[in-house]
Amino acid sequence: MTALLEIKNLHAKVGDKEILKGLNLTIDAGEVCAIMGPNGCGKSTLSAVISGHPAYTVTEGEILFKGEDLLKMTPDERANKGVFLAFQHPIELPGVGLAQFLKTALNAKRKANGEEPIDAVAFMKYMNVRATALGISNEMLKRPVNVGFSGGEKKRLETFQMAMLEPDFCILDEMDSGLDVDALKIVGQGVSVMREPKRSFMIITHHDDLLQYVKPDKVSIMRDGVIVKTAGSELVKEVEESGYDNF
Amino acid sequence: MTISNPFLIHTQENVIVKNPDDKSWVFEVGENGNLWVDFLQTTDDLNVFVSLQAEEAKCKINCAYLINKNNMLNIDIKVLHKYKNTTSEQHIKGIATDESSVSFKGIVEIPKDSQKCDGRQHHRGVVLSPKAKIEAVPQLEIWADDVVCSHGSAIGPLDANQLFYLQTRGLPEHEAKKILLNSFLGDLMPEEFSDIIQGWMDKNV
Ligand SMILES: Nc1ncnc2c1ncn2[C@@H]1O[C@H](COP(=O)(O)OP(=O)(O)OP(=O)(O)O)[C@@H](O)[C@H]1O
Ligand SMILES: [Mg+2]
Repeated sequence: MTALLEIKNLHAKVGDKEILKGLNLTIDAGEVCAIMGPNGCGKSTLSAVISGHPAYTVTEGEILFKGEDLLKMTPDERANKGVFLAFQHPIELPGVGLAQFLKTALNAKRKANGEEPIDAVAFMKYMNVRATALGISNEMLKRPVNVGFSGGEKKRLETFQMAMLEPDFCILDEMDSGLDVDALKIVGQGVSVMREPKRSFMIITHHDDLLQYVKPDKVSIMRDGVIVKTAGSELVKEVEESGYDNF
Repeated sequence: MTISNPFLIHTQENVIVKNPDDKSWVFEVGENGNLWVDFLQTTDDLNVFVSLQAEEAKCKINCAYLINKNNMLNIDIKVLHKYKNTTSEQHIKGIATDESSVSFKGIVEIPKDSQKCDGRQHHRGVVLSPKAKIEAVPQLEIWADDVVCSHGSAIGPLDANQLFYLQTRGLPEHEAKKILLNSFLGDLMPEEFSDIIQGWMDKNV
């Protein structure tokens, strides 16, 4: 397998506070990697740094994506190269309708890849198939992005956006927090059908819930800004049973 | 009035309109009168005075400003509730970029004998560059005691987390900003002005 994402000795800080402290992680094409770690160890920071959030400064190390220097790219360039972040806390966008927003986003990606904008009818079809699969109603598509949705609905909408944009690298930051059993099933199946030989996943989680649907190829344990151990899916049980003290 | 500073009078029932010069407007609203006017300022100053002269007179003033380069803009809007039982609304929103500066002064005056009046004034401004400046002085001069009034002003940059979220979906920074600015302006301005507004955004955002 070839590496899709290679993170080497990554140090990042916010303000004066160092959060990532020499993190190494490689995710191959087609691989599903689960990241587990205690609250505050830097998991969301890692996903923000990979996506290019301006509040975090990388002080050392590198991130290669498809062999290219990701840190040189703006967040939208990274997105259009195939990086997608499903947010732990999705951001509300009052006044920005979801369907229209996704059409704009899809066309931005097509433009970046030298393709023509999608026509209105084709877009509706493309969207409806995905919306139906994830239980997103027409009414939800018309509402402003994330505004007034419940926690679980927001997670489903993030999964829907991911299905719409068909990224090569999907970061799911606590996608399974706050989902009821039915929503977990919908999201789990939604993610699992997206598994493909060229698409990789980084699943940040505290539980086994989502991983039941999307079996990880490997599990990395993060503590205090570094990856301290990587092994097979048996690690999930170990964490659930005895926490992080052994790592 | 130049095309870059259009206005639209939607409603003028029992209103005397005076327009002494390009930048100044006086509206005298009579009994049961109703005024609704929209202003869009991209270059010129604006000076509006509304007098609610008689029972049940009403007005709604909407104003948006878009300003760039090192331009300076003064917007003065005053509403005088000269008579009891009168109602006013002012909604002002604007965007300043480059090294421009805006000074907005809004006054709602309700004299002592003008009871049961309702006066509202709200201003929000977005600064798009560190050197742009918006100053707002909303003023309530309320002498009557049985009135309903509200006013508020908020000025700041676009929300960094909203911008980031849009960018992670593949929208370039300037597109993301335009989306947020359009949602900020909302439906304050009429459809008729949208070409001017979009044209301004295409050039300046
Ligand atoms: N913008 C910020 N400003 C200040 N501190 C921050 C900021 N972002 C992260 N931190 C701090 O960095 C540390 C790591 O935060 P992060 O959100 O990455 O943790 P996490 O592993 O995702 O935790 P959780 O499991 O609770 O989601 C925390 O101590 C947090 O307070
Ligand atoms: Mg987190």
